[in-house]
Amino acid sequence: MSILANRDTQVVIIGGVAGLNAARRMAQFDFLINRPLSVKAFVYPPEEGQQKEIYRGGELKNVPVYSSLEDALAENPGINTALIYIGANRAYQAAKEALEASSIKLVSMITEGVPEKDAKRLRKLAIEAGKLFNGPSSIGIMSAGECRLGVIGGEFKNLKLCNLYRSGSFGVITKSGGLSNEAMWLCAQNGNGITTAVAIGGDAYPGTDFVTYLEMFEKDPETKAVVIVGEVGGTLEDEAAEWLAAEKRRIRLVATIGGTCQEVLPQGMKFGHAGAKEGKKGVGSARAKMNALRDAGALVPDTFGGLSKCIKQVYEELLADGSIKPEPEIDEALLPELPLKVQEIMKQGEVIVEPLIRTTISDDRGEEPRYVGYAASELCEKGYGIEDVLSLLWSKKLPSREESEIIKRIIMISADHGPAVSGAFGAIIGACAGIDLPQAVSAGMTMIGPRFGGAVTNAGKYFKYGVKEYPNDIAGFLSWMKQNVGPVPGIGHRVKSVKNPDKRVKYLVDYVKNHTSLHTPCLDYALEVEKITTSKKDNLILNVDGTIGCILVDLDFPEQSLNGFFVLARTIGMIGHWIDQTTQGSKLIRLYDYLINYAVKEEREVPVKK
Amino acid sequence: MAKILEGPAMKLFNKWGIPVPNYVVIMDPNRLEQLGEANKWLRESKLVVKAHEAIGGRFKLGLVKLGLNLEEAVAASREMIGREIGTAVIRQVIVAEMLEHDEEYYLCINGNRDGAEVLLSNRGGVDIEENWDTVRRLFIPIDENPSVERLTEFAGEAGFTGEIAERVGKIVSRLVLCFDNEDAQSIEINPLVIRKSDMRFAALDAVMNVDYDARFRHADWDFKPVSEIGRPFTEAELQIMEIDARIKGSVKFVEVPGGEIALLTAGGGASVFYSDAVVARGGTIANYAEYSGDPSDWAVEALTETVCALPNIKHIIVGGAIANFTDVKATFNGIINGFRESKSKGYLENVKIWVRRGGPNENQGLAAIRKLQDEGFDIHVYDRSMPMTDIVDLALNS
Repeated sequence: MSILANRDTQVVIIGGVAGLNAARRMAQFDFLINRPLSVKAFVYPPEEGQQKEIYRGGELKNVPVYSSLEDALAENPGINTALIYIGANRAYQAAKEALEASSIKLVSMITEGVPEKDAKRLRKLAIEAGKLFNGPSSIGIMSAGECRLGVIGGEFKNLKLCNLYRSGSFGVITKSGGLSNEAMWLCAQNGNGITTAVAIGGDAYPGTDFVTYLEMFEKDPETKAVVIVGEVGGTLEDEAAEWLAAEKRRIRLVATIGGTCQEVLPQGMKFGHAGAKEGKKGVGSARAKMNALRDAGALVPDTFGGLSKCIKQVYEELLADGSIKPEPEIDEALLPELPLKVQEIMKQGEVIVEPLIRTTISDDRGEEPRYVGYAASELCEKGYGIEDVLSLLWSKKLPSREESEIIKRIIMISADHGPAVSGAFGAIIGACAGIDLPQAVSAGMTMIGPRFGGAVTNAGKYFKYGVKEYPNDIAGFLSWMKQNVGPVPGIGHRVKSVKNPDKRVKYLVDYVKNHTSLHTPCLDYALEVEKITTSKKDNLILNVDGTIGCILVDLDFPEQSLNGFFVLARTIGMIGHWIDQTTQGSKLIRLYDYLINYAVKEEREVPVKK
Repeated sequence: MAKILEGPAMKLFNKWGIPVPNYVVIMDPNRLEQLGEANKWLRESKLVVKAHEAIGGRFKLGLVKLGLNLEEAVAASREMIGREIGTAVIRQVIVAEMLEHDEEYYLCINGNRDGAEVLLSNRGGVDIEENWDTVRRLFIPIDENPSVERLTEFAGEAGFTGEIAERVGKIVSRLVLCFDNEDAQSIEINPLVIRKSDMRFAALDAVMNVDYDARFRHADWDFKPVSEIGRPFTEAELQIMEIDARIKGSVKFVEVPGGEIALLTAGGGASVFYSDAVVARGGTIANYAEYSGDPSDWAVEALTETVCALPNIKHIIVGGAIANFTDVKATFNGIINGFRESKSKGYLENVKIWVRRGGPNENQGLAAIRKLQDEGFDIHVYDRSMPMTDIVDLALNS
């Protein structure tokens, strides 16, 4: 048994991220004692319509967020408890609405820094409505084996250490949140654990008081004793003493009061909770409270350190008079363990997870990116350039100085070919339509294909094939190509010919062959092919795609990487075109009618749909 | 809880129609001379000059001067402004009209759990303690402000008669309005005086506390709460307060000069029990400190360095209950860095450190702080199995 919260308790949390964290802690407890999720709904207007992910053990649950309490309650009629986590300036309104909702019986407020007047009003409202307003500044309420409201009880491990998975015989009432946890631990260590622990908050005017809960504990047959952790200031402890003395009580009372130090401190010096302040003439002093409680029959240690002994003493007396039976030892191993996250289990080496992807080129898990093992900054420091990084990432090799130079030149001469070609034109139309750089450049990029710039890979691929399968047999190669592929990729140009050669091709071939020591079997083969094809038709020259493809094959780049050079190079150009157009403030392009042949049907009437 | 100075209190009284004497708050004595040219009352009334600072016992310190003319008031402010009292410097004085009066009354309102209580006596002034049996009390439930008629009746119960009772009833009514609307916690007016010749009332001296948590709904609150510890805050205290205002969770620090046991404790409740334990064992605390609500590690680090810099300390108690959600590993990280930094600055010579804590990530946090032993710290670390305040006993018995 318990007070305030039990297995039937269903909760709405009003507030944002702090409330979500609390809900996750509460779900851990739900998992420990094997009950359904206690949090049914959140109310937080900024996140209306979202679903919050909460793990109950290994099970992922989704809890809806509503913009109003009314909506949350309409869809979740079982909710009887509200936890307020919203900021101090909105906490009053939220708690008021909750207290006014007929199905809600208990409102507990964690929010700190709530104006005293607001707390007083809420207390009054709750009393008038026959409900409970716990807090403000309350860490929450814990009913062992039944329900956890808030983060009270701390981490999962602590829930077990404090035996909170099953009911004991001690009730706990504290002002402080941290000490509610400490008191639960002491009850588990020196007794058989708790029934319910409630933190009422350390504000000057909490919504409830010790007596409210003492009455409830008195009526709860499982609670045999109550531990109160009080402090200097206010009258709640004195009222508890009066309650105890008023008539014979079933429950035993143990109480410890903080703040005796104020007797020796300079006058007016106060610290601790807002409510921990001594009034004039010693009213509310810790000593006076301790005496009142002792006189009323409570067990009151001189200091907090003596609390353990008092709890133990009461527990042993209760055992001796048969009020409680010794608790059978529970095998801790039978209690569930919170499922670990995959990363945690992997660290312990107890699980194998098949990777989703595999990379062989780069790794940025360390302090900086590494390309095929080389630190980026070290490459910079040692004089390597972008063409070396490209080589590492595309073919996993560091090129020689000569090779780098070739790569660099290939990119330089391919970077742009004026605005008229498909790629640049696509990017320009995009820029004129006002779209952003990445989208406009992508528009140009989509043009790269069989008719525009996309022949590099295939040219390299087939000339390489020829070198291997038809060495010294160009005719054989050409006839194989005719049969199996069609026109030879990398051969032929729309405007250039033997008489009007492509200067880029001339330059590249000359540079590679006469200014470097690169061995060029593929390029040589292609030039041989060109001799044959140009003898048939003047414009069947080795074009720039073919030249680049062959050189790259000779540089030992993987076949599938070859188009990348054109893509990379032209990206530079297309970005340039986008910047150029937007800097000029170019207008939207629309084709003139006279540029279009409207080969369409005559105007006609739409028939009735059948 | 926030005590406010007389100036801001007077401003709020004015706002709610509670009669106050003419007054000005000044930082520059020359300004008072100019104000004298502009205001007849400064030239023609007897004046009182008071240091406008949170300093207790101002009378004894000569920080209240009575019955002055303007020239004397200028001289008195010149003398007070810039004076050093302990660690504080007087920066402002309040100059008010000393109303010639016939009678002195006592009027006070205190908040309580169910609303507020008004205290009224027609025998106010410095002797109010002796005349405490003349004080009449009226309970005002929250949100149920009494009518002026009822309050006039109440004034009658306190011995006021005729027109004075009516006027006092009205003043009480305005006091209740001011209390309620300004989120006040207490207002004590002593004395409330009357000059019968023209039936002029004035609150000559007042102490007001407001609920600073309610400042979000008071756009015109242009004041900061003043120290309530009987002295102005020290530099270190102000520094921690400034951090406290900026972070989630909280860090608190109050110096107690002359103590030998420094506290670096967690939690508003537990920290008080640690202070109690020191006092109960005959020790003397050098400070009060508290961190809670899972504050950032840098805030805890700053608090740690402040505690380490306290003079003549012999022990530091790094205590705390078993935390609910304050991450022990993260907050201890701040403490560890603070200790290291302090040691490198030459602090912590011959200081013993005692640690007891539990809560989220307690094992990692305690293991990390225990490692300070290897760096030459005299540190003793205990987990939850050590009763919470027993490290104080260990420290004092060592």
